[in-house]
Amino acid sequence: MRHCLNAALSAVRTYSSVIALGLTLTAGAAWAQDYRAPLTPDGNPNLNGIWQALGTAHWNVEGHSAESGPVVEMGALGAIPGGLAIVEGGKIPYRDEALAKRDANRQDWLALDPAVKCYMPGVPRATYMPFPFQIVQTPEHILIAYEFASASRVIYMNRPDFEHPGDAWMGHSRGRWEGQTLVVEVTNHVPDTWFDSAGNFHTDALRVVERYTPTGPNHLLYEAEIEDENVYTRPWKIKLPLYRRMDENMQLLEFKCVEFVEEMMYGHLRKKDSE
Amino acid sequence: MTVRFAAAACAALFATSLVGADKSLPAGIQEWRPPVTAWGVPDLRGVWDFRTITPLERPVRFGETGALTEEQASEFRDEELSRRNKDRRASDGISAEQDVRNAYNQFWWDFGSELTEDRRTSLIVEPPDGRIPALTPDARARYKAIRDARARAPQGPEDRGVAERCLLGFNAGPPYTPSAYNNNVHIFQTPGYAVLLIEMVNDARIVPLDDRPRLPDHMRQWRGDARGRWEGDTLVVESRNFTGKTTHRGSGKDMILTERFTRVGPERLVYEYMIDDPESFAKPWKAQIPMKRTDQPMYEYACHEGNYSMFTMLEGARAGERAGKVHTGSNLP
Repeated sequence: MRHCLNAALSAVRTYSSVIALGLTLTAGAAWAQDYRAPLTPDGNPNLNGIWQALGTAHWNVEGHSAESGPVVEMGALGAIPGGLAIVEGGKIPYRDEALAKRDANRQDWLALDPAVKCYMPGVPRATYMPFPFQIVQTPEHILIAYEFASASRVIYMNRPDFEHPGDAWMGHSRGRWEGQTLVVEVTNHVPDTWFDSAGNFHTDALRVVERYTPTGPNHLLYEAEIEDENVYTRPWKIKLPLYRRMDENMQLLEFKCVEFVEEMMYGHLRKKDSE
Repeated sequence: MTVRFAAAACAALFATSLVGADKSLPAGIQEWRPPVTAWGVPDLRGVWDFRTITPLERPVRFGETGALTEEQASEFRDEELSRRNKDRRASDGISAEQDVRNAYNQFWWDFGSELTEDRRTSLIVEPPDGRIPALTPDARARYKAIRDARARAPQGPEDRGVAERCLLGFNAGPPYTPSAYNNNVHIFQTPGYAVLLIEMVNDARIVPLDDRPRLPDHMRQWRGDARGRWEGDTLVVESRNFTGKTTHRGSGKDMILTERFTRVGPERLVYEYMIDDPESFAKPWKAQIPMKRTDQPMYEYACHEGNYSMFTMLEGARAGERAGKVHTGSNLP
């Protein structure tokens, strides 16, 4: 036992081993790998339903302590809770100059975070915003409708050659099944989205490979591999559980936040003597 | 080949039988049965294109004429195409003001170029004059407030329409009505749900098909709260709980909107909506819009993310005031 522990600790010295350790220990311990999801009428694993992430990754995908929030009047309710990293290994492997930009983003995040302005959050951020989303599965297309900003995206199944003519806030999603896992390659991202409110960012070279794996009737394991050679020294991964919303008569409600940001964005251009 | 022949025959049937001012689905169509999903309900899945240049309301000169002969239709089509042509310049005989107002070139518009196949004079099929019933005094007052706000130099974003604020697409209603471009809706179905994803502005309306209770009266939504059911082969979607901050031709917050989706052929779907809103209209009214299946995918329409025009409209209005200019209301379409 001690021998095993020592061996494991010594392995921590290299990045690749950290990843290997993370995969074998956490995946093996926390997730039932042998769960077989019920099938849709078309014979694929059934991921239909309303799902939501828990936790604080939308504040910061890296581990972070609790801190005060940006709005004094919000007091305790507006403070930012701490959270463990969803990034495998804890840190995003930024290039030096990119890390400096991330830190500058973080310094001025309230002014710069695109989600503050109700812009579509992009992928993967849409997944762990503190809002539910609904998966609607058909054999050819899988729709994900997000409550935040009424964002949505269509995943084109089994059409690896279907190219997108431009970039999009929610990217271009092409999917396939690998056993129980829905694998989605997301390309054609605009450079304007962030991963969280802590300034973590990417460029338009971003590629995301998402994996949705049912691990029980009411849980999905969500993993995403993230690659952008402009910004990171190597691909990196995030991993978090998604929970089925069990509320009676659960439905997505509207969160059309444009209305809630108009004063912030355009207030200075109002006619002064108007209401 | 067989499928194409069937589609053509079906379209022809549809065209001829609707000409007789009958508002229900033609008898011949009912013999065609739509394909069914693996769980046994009519399969409406796919992207549907609802472009048409048939106007919502019937031009007054057509009176009670609901459908045109082939010859009349061809003339009406030419007129509509000419009226909508944004490439006409002052040199083509329109006023200089109209020329400026045309703004975008024709290239940017995608109304389509065809009338409905049954050569109707209006999308409205009820009442029989093809026109929106009289507004109640209350609805007139609401409508006037909206018109007045839009006619003045905008005091704030709320003075502009919901489409310009990027809250909802200009053809997204609900109900859906053909407009300038992107007249596409992608229908998804899974057991227990139908989902209507309209291209403008990526808006997914999720319609539960079970018998769950409606939202309580005080919970209001821009698109209302939708519940669906099957009536034979027709998907019926009933929406209530609107905000009153949007209007469809004068409707108010307590509108009951009933939409009916019926697939009438391999490539054809009939979309019908009825508006029942006694606080706004003298009587309920109904429109019928043909949809055609398309293999073209829909793309993301990021509206708010690039809404520079809201800044420039407001900045322009404030600059005008500083310069002492009087706004003439010429930004009305």
